[in-house]
Amino acid sequence: MEPIDDFARRFGTSISLDETFIVKKQDRYFLLNRDLKQIAANDFLYAGTYLGKAKGGKFFPSFNLLSMIAQKRANKITIARKAEWLFICGRDVFKQGITKVTGSTKKDDHVLVLNSYGECLGFGKILCNLDKKRRGLAVENIMDIGDFLRREK
Amino acid sequence: MNLHNYASTPSFYEQNRKLSSMSSKDFFINRYQELGWKYKDVTPRQAIRINTMNVEKTAALLQRLRSIGIALERISFLDNGYWVCESKFSVGATSEYLLGLYSIQEAAAQIPVTLFTELEHKTVLDACAAPGGKTVQLADSMHNTGAIIALDIRKQRLTALANQLERCRVKNTVVYFSDARQVSRLKAGFDRILLDMPCSGNFAGDRNWFKRRTIKDVERNAALQREILAETVKVLKDSGEIVYSTCSLEPEENELNIDWAVKNLNLQVEEINCHGQKALTNVFCKHLDSSIQECRRVWPGQTQGFFVCKLKRREAA
Repeated sequence: MEPIDDFARRFGTSISLDETFIVKKQDRYFLLNRDLKQIAANDFLYAGTYLGKAKGGKFFPSFNLLSMIAQKRANKITIARKAEWLFICGRDVFKQGITKVTGSTKKDDHVLVLNSYGECLGFGKILCNLDKKRRGLAVENIMDIGDFLRREK
Repeated sequence: MNLHNYASTPSFYEQNRKLSSMSSKDFFINRYQELGWKYKDVTPRQAIRINTMNVEKTAALLQRLRSIGIALERISFLDNGYWVCESKFSVGATSEYLLGLYSIQEAAAQIPVTLFTELEHKTVLDACAAPGGKTVQLADSMHNTGAIIALDIRKQRLTALANQLERCRVKNTVVYFSDARQVSRLKAGFDRILLDMPCSGNFAGDRNWFKRRTIKDVERNAALQREILAETVKVLKDSGEIVYSTCSLEPEENELNIDWAVKNLNLQVEEINCHGQKALTNVFCKHLDSSIQECRRVWPGQTQGFFVCKLKRREAA
């Protein structure tokens, strides 16, 4: 599926999903398991694992998809607990809050943001070369799990 | 089969007529007293449920939550339920919650799903699913295997359900905007059916409950519940199980409906072993089938008020 493959490539990786189990419903993509594939009718609202939405030429991933990509060798940063809280409140990541970098450190590349337990909190865009930067803003928050709270409002 | 006036026996009219001059609060409190429970104002304790499908070791998660200032205590009658004893901030705003490691779910509301036997690889109907707390619990108990069909007719709450499923990384559920009273249109048979019915609720945790509710609401909800029961029985496989629950204290929505189901839908009440008292078999002078005592009634206290039972097709004599 092109939008999903393209999205994974942004993190310097690829993801292989069995296309026969991916269902596109309007602009949203769902990954079904074998049982659901047999039972799901066309008019569902939600099914299986929600992967994301393609709208206006942009792809908006689900947190499930981000977690799936995070299991691959991909661009990732790990952040400290205090930075984690700020990140899920929608804030950008400071260099001081980053405890580990895996993959690209280059400006404008995309990185998954993980907590110290290796759980994916969202993703962002590198604002400056992470090798050189010592302090200050380092990764722009594009999407974070605090979105679940913001959706309810 | 009389779906609409089952509770309206002469004794009910008499009882309701006697009490009609009272305030709504006095009316309901008097009913509870007649049913054997003395009213007291309660505030149910907050509870969470660990989503074991997303957690490798529960003890490690408990330690992790303790380290951020959330103190929990195991709920004696639940496997994965914990009381929130102390928390420096909302338990709904931690990254652990947002990552789906636990759900906030009232303790009594965690009981129904635990009553099913062998959920893995089954086809399950969650007939009135939104906002999805029990749907996630079903998926957790099924270890994300098999299939859950989740229905509801409240579109806004279905959005909340979809968010819950994504947050908790549920993979085995299909959600439809659909009325449980039309479930046979799905042309599917189910091994397990959860009927967590739309109901009148109860006063615990709702300060305005007595002002908002009348006996008419209760009777209307009871009739709706009978309609849902009658329809969903049609899609229950022969060896299947139904778990019926409400958070109502009113016998019209509980014991009387199950008595009706036993007498009209060829169902039998199964013995269950869970928190709560044996249900009533004598309701306002109406004698119910003796098997109704196998249902469980939870009066408000640490938890909200609740009613739950398990039903199966009647075995041939």
